[in-house]
Amino acid sequence: MSPFELWLRSTSLAQLMHTRWAWPTAESLHFFGLSLLMGTVGLFDLRLLGFAKQIPLPALHRLIPWGILGYFINVITGISFFTAEPDQYLYNPSFQMKMLFMTLAGINVLLFYLTMFRHVKTRGPGENAPLPARIMGGASLAFWIGVMTCGRLLTFYRPPFHWCPWCGW
Amino acid sequence: MHPYSVFSWIETSALSSWIRESPSLWAFPFILILHTVGMGFLVGPNVAMDLRILGFAPRIPLSLFEKFFGVMKVAFVINVISGVLLLIAYPTKALTNPLFYVKLFLIACAVTQTRVIRDRILHDRRWDIGPVAANGKMLAATSIVIWGGALTAGRLLAYTYIHLLAGG
Repeated sequence: MSPFELWLRSTSLAQLMHTRWAWPTAESLHFFGLSLLMGTVGLFDLRLLGFAKQIPLPALHRLIPWGILGYFINVITGISFFTAEPDQYLYNPSFQMKMLFMTLAGINVLLFYLTMFRHVKTRGPGENAPLPARIMGGASLAFWIGVMTCGRLLTFYRPPFHWCPWCGW
Repeated sequence: MHPYSVFSWIETSALSSWIRESPSLWAFPFILILHTVGMGFLVGPNVAMDLRILGFAPRIPLSLFEKFFGVMKVAFVINVISGVLLLIAYPTKALTNPLFYVKLFLIACAVTQTRVIRDRILHDRRWDIGPVAANGKMLAATSIVIWGGALTAGRLLAYTYIHLLAGG
């Protein structure tokens, strides 16, 4: 184990995570955060794709802060898992894929707010989002489903049963 | 007949062994992924609807949330099917854990609550735009708690089981 991993494991957060109920509690919060994200960002993506078109896009967008809350719940609980068992994640190909999907989702959301949001926030009932925004909505759904898929696959790729580009050299 | 003999009969079936023991990602892992993504698209839109009733994003016409009931229904069916398959894989693990029955009960309550919200609030034109009456907000707040409880009970099943398999 690298000095970084040993240090992470020695932190009080890691010790807290190894108490009896911390891990299950954090897992439950992680799944609730996931639901908040899918229920707000996921529905907004569906609306961008043309689903439930009667809902004005700016009105639906007002729920996004709850998705951001869900995202931060999951970042905090996620960091807690990682800190407690860094080797179970660092060398886990499923974790690496999950981080890749999260990066892609992040780039996608950044592009959306930089280029498309000003067009989307004027779209009322029955109006379609511009094509690039629809594509970004579809990409967002695909990336978040990718994140959830890799998250669930983590347990099946625990080290030492693993592949990873930088370990064991 | 002792329940364990039923469990062990299920566990020795071809389907149960395949889900549990196959190294294929299409067996246990895929079913688990379906159950998780399904949960996100069942609990998520429900909580979003509850938040709208509680007063957030007030310009979404409430009746239009019914458009998302299709999504929730598909997610629910996916989760019933994937849930039954997970139960076939590990009947002893689930059915000997009291929390499993708590989870099922909470899901029944949550689904009922969602139907009540649809019939009493979404179908009532008075609440379509703007604030919902206090008793409607109570329904929404309890809905979030019940769905959150069902999700938590489900998550805790991984940590609270007593027996994994009938044989061991």
